[in-house]
Amino acid sequence: MKNQDKVTKDKENTELKKQIEVLTNDWKRALADYQNLQRRYEKEKIEFAQYANGILVLKLLSTLDYLEKVQSYLKDDGLGLAIKEFKNVLSEEGLKEVEVLGKKFNPEEMEAIEKIDGEEDKVIEVISKGYRLKDKLIRPAKVKVSVIII
Amino acid sequence: MGKIIGIDLGTTNSCVAVMEGGSPKVIYSAEGRNVIPSVVDPVSHIVGDVAKRQVVVKPRSTIFSIKRLMGRKYKDESVQRDIKWLPYSIK
Repeated sequence: MKNQDKVTKDKENTELKKQIEVLTNDWKRALADYQNLQRRYEKEKIEFAQYANGILVLKLLSTLDYLEKVQSYLKDDGLGLAIKEFKNVLSEEGLKEVEVLGKKFNPEEMEAIEKIDGEEDKVIEVISKGYRLKDKLIRPAKVKVSVIII
Repeated sequence: MGKIIGIDLGTTNSCVAVMEGGSPKVIYSAEGRNVIPSVVDPVSHIVGDVAKRQVVVKPRSTIFSIKRLMGRKYKDESVQRDIKWLPYSIK
């Protein structure tokens, strides 16, 4: 009878040890998740403060594109001043144009729209300008690239 | 303990998620998108949006629509059809 009791207790002990192991692992996982969440929350808070205007600025860029397109045909002094002022306001928010014309094609900040026979991987025309907000690329430049076509 | 990620590999776009607090959490790309184009350039080691931007310039080294070929034999009718329009070489 005593032996049977010992066997039952041993079995119970093994079961309990297994349960402790499972619960410890779950607790460790939950703790790691929480710490990750805390870290990400802090990072997102900083990013949000830095790029809060990003969506609005991105929407305004299409308006700037239209105005610049119109100006390229009209060549109106008044409109030119308005565009300059508009660009000043955007640049105060941290907007910078990505300089790409004549440079080597780089997909990190440019999107190739068309390729033309010529020098290897050189940007020969900008279809739409690319912009950075502070250090983050918010719109890649759309470009025509010259490549050696065999 | 190592994290486990789940990948929804689509023909056009893919999505990556990790289990956090018992529910999946989508991992955003560096561009801030929750889906990543299923495009890769194994030569330049670039993926997603960046790889997609260079398809026009490097059509032979930029791999896309690869899911159409996965799990199929070279001789399959669909593979033979895809070989005709895909710009990268399939051997």
